[in-house]
Amino acid sequence: MTTAEFYKELDSTLNLAPGTIKGDESLLDLSGWDSMALLMFIYMADSKLGLAVKASALVNCKTVGDLVKVCEGKVQD
Amino acid sequence: MAGSSIAGVVIRGIASAVPEGTQGLKELAELGGGSTPEKTMEVTGIRSRHVCRPGQTASDLCFAATETLLKDLPWGRDTVEALIFVSQTFDYVAPATSCCLQARLGLPKSCAAFDVALGCSGYVYGLWIASSLMLAGCRRVLLLAGESTTRIISPLDRAAVPLFGDAGTATALEREEGHVMHFDLGTDGAGFEHLIIPAGGHRTPRSSQTAVRTPREGGNVRSDEDLYMNGPEVFSFTLREVPPLLDRILARAGWTKEQVDFFVMHQANKWMLDQLGKRLGIPAASLPIALEGFGNTVSASIPLAITHSIRPVIGEKTRRLVLAGFGVGLSWGAAALEVGPIVLPELAIVP
Repeated sequence: MTTAEFYKELDSTLNLAPGTIKGDESLLDLSGWDSMALLMFIYMADSKLGLAVKASALVNCKTVGDLVKVCEGKVQD
Repeated sequence: MAGSSIAGVVIRGIASAVPEGTQGLKELAELGGGSTPEKTMEVTGIRSRHVCRPGQTASDLCFAATETLLKDLPWGRDTVEALIFVSQTFDYVAPATSCCLQARLGLPKSCAAFDVALGCSGYVYGLWIASSLMLAGCRRVLLLAGESTTRIISPLDRAAVPLFGDAGTATALEREEGHVMHFDLGTDGAGFEHLIIPAGGHRTPRSSQTAVRTPREGGNVRSDEDLYMNGPEVFSFTLREVPPLLDRILARAGWTKEQVDFFVMHQANKWMLDQLGKRLGIPAASLPIALEGFGNTVSASIPLAITHSIRPVIGEKTRRLVLAGFGVGLSWGAAALEVGPIVLPELAIVP
């Protein structure tokens, strides 16, 4: 998956308008980033990337870029 | 364990009971927090939950469910040979709650009675134990599964309050040739901290410190005597373990997905069940969801879903069911069995 596709999936996962995520957002500033969003992100990574993301890896994520790093190897340009 | 198949056991009836008291969107709104009650409801599928009043316990609900069941079932109480109480919310530290229930229900002194301290997987484990007792010579067993989880949740825990409800159930099992139940059970205790009440056991006894509610992750406020659930970790575990669990139980039973009438899963929350259904290719019509008025009732959720969501169809005809429970432990279990027609009384409401 490309980075642009990843941002699009994240928009959809967080129920945001398409094009909202640009890559440098702080997760705390994103409307919809809450405990359910963590679950939804885990499912997105599982179903779209075939990646089993550990919840503990998400706890320290502060930005969208950090989420990309968690999915390292599966999201690239 | 590897799976097992036990012949000569059949379910005769299932009954459910809930406390009269309820909590809904209004109470959630008062909690505040990031998500609106409407959004929470949309994701969880839970609009309201039945909650025990002070002094009311899981055993009270199971007692009511059993009384309802025995009224419609042609069983003399003196013919019940074993009583199993599955719960994580017991009446006392000691004795076993099942002992209190044996006397309260007027069951004979010859009745074996014991508790099983499991949660979300507990109903499937209870069926497995009951079936094993049949192999050991029992003829009639009552399996009670119930929880008063709302009593062990901090009212200020925004992550847990909207999810959990209270319920009690009773299932009557009987020895009869010509029926087989298939089981697959497992455990990953390395994840024990992801769903836990840290204090109150012998490892960390209750104290003035453990009772203090303090702010925790995500702004949730709770004490070490309250239930803690790490939702994302539990969901990761579910995605990891449940799909292969269902593959194994279907292979053991020799059924295809299409040959199963209903997959009755532990009712964790609607979003999670929807994702599991999509992942497993199970049509929505075969995946009963009984969350809207009940919430997650832990060990009671599978029998409650049966009595609430598919009552009309298994009251009259034999159906193939796959049951799957997964959660606290971390523990899981699946069963494949044919059920019906069986006694299914109306839901009992306990004042």
